[in-house]
Amino acid sequence: MKLEILFTALPLALVAIIFQFLPLLTRRGIFFSATVDPEFPQSADGRRLLRSYRLQAALWTLIAIALGLVLAPQHPEYAALAPALLLVMGISVSYWLKFREVHERYGEHRPEIRRAELSPRTSGEAFSAWLWLPPFLALAAIGVYLQAHWNLLPERFPVHWGVDGQPNRWASRTWSGVYGPLLIGAGLNLFMLGVAWLVTRQSRKTAMQRIMVRLSELLLYPMTFASAAAAVLPLVSFPIWLIPVVMTVSIAAVIYWAYRQISVPTVDDATPEPQSDSYWKAGMFYYNPNDPAIFVSKRVGIGYTMNFANKISWVVLVGILLMALLPVLLIRK
Amino acid sequence: MSSGPTLRIDLDSGVPAYRQIVDGLRILLVSGKLAPGSELPSVRRIAVDLGVHFNTVAEAYRTLAEEGWLELRHGRGATVVERDAPAANAEKVTEFRRRLRALVAEMQSQGASAAKLSVELRNAAIELDL
Repeated sequence: MKLEILFTALPLALVAIIFQFLPLLTRRGIFFSATVDPEFPQSADGRRLLRSYRLQAALWTLIAIALGLVLAPQHPEYAALAPALLLVMGISVSYWLKFREVHERYGEHRPEIRRAELSPRTSGEAFSAWLWLPPFLALAAIGVYLQAHWNLLPERFPVHWGVDGQPNRWASRTWSGVYGPLLIGAGLNLFMLGVAWLVTRQSRKTAMQRIMVRLSELLLYPMTFASAAAAVLPLVSFPIWLIPVVMTVSIAAVIYWAYRQISVPTVDDATPEPQSDSYWKAGMFYYNPNDPAIFVSKRVGIGYTMNFANKISWVVLVGILLMALLPVLLIRK
Repeated sequence: MSSGPTLRIDLDSGVPAYRQIVDGLRILLVSGKLAPGSELPSVRRIAVDLGVHFNTVAEAYRTLAEEGWLELRHGRGATVVERDAPAANAEKVTEFRRRLRALVAEMQSQGASAAKLSVELRNAAIELDL
């Protein structure tokens, strides 16, 4: 029972912590996705709104955890999904109400100044081979190392572990068993770079674009570390918990770097995003039929969201989801 | 920030985006900041950067192509071409005078003196004269 409580409450608590800080993961002059005076979040009204949102988010978290605990004994298949959905929906409603209040009572109008660079070769932030190539070379080097030590590999070795640290899936010394983690790692790296490349081609040249390109390049390293560690584990002995710990710490560090980059007061865009709050439905969904851009910088959080008024956005969204689900579907087969 | 020429429009100004794009590009063309042989980005790229419809940019490119400034390349963009300046006919001069008088009246109603406006006009003409 204690384990059930842990598995139900822990992921929800982690998600809730992110939601608690979400309104602060934004650029100066944006608060709950609404355009405000840059000093407004520090004002008495700004602090009051943040406190109120956080209290509501905490209440939704408690309700979701309670639902999870009620469902866990009788309907364990719903115990993870239903509370998570309730949590996300509940907090989204709280966020939307705060967006509306901030926009209507404290919102500011920013001039809709748009800029376009007329140099034909400025379509997007450039990727740096110095950053993205080493992870692929590392995976290749480990492949060579495994090939050279093929005879030292055990006939059967663990490739997946449960939360208790015990192996629960095994592979044998075959081509796919040995090189599988490396290929999956390279595939995931390519997928992430591909998505980042697509976004740079279809978005404006903003600070977010530069940050997202660097972020995607830097995130290759923890991802590559996980794949490489899993691949060499049959030959090299080290504590398995090292993989999630290194990944969590490095991903957190990279995201913190990105947050610092986006929140600096002097951040400037070569080609700025549309400014009006009216394009942001419920403060979360960008909807601008006049804007041909598919990807738009998020107002809250780091990365991009889609222009839901653009039909191509829906096609791209389905494509990305299918590509992301493909490995899962293949493994299940 | 890029050091190359930049097109800037203000969607709050009341002037249609198409007109602002044509005017902005024409200023860069007349001043020589976009010299013959320069390649302009595709209609799609400019439309995405400005957040306006493709047709708005395409129409602006077509207008400037009809004026002899641009050569359009299907699906790619446009190239600035060498252009022989046509002689300003009486009709054009009259239209210019009408627009100028309206602008002068607008600025004088906001307190700008005749001397100040003369200097501004002279500077603009010199700046754009090749």
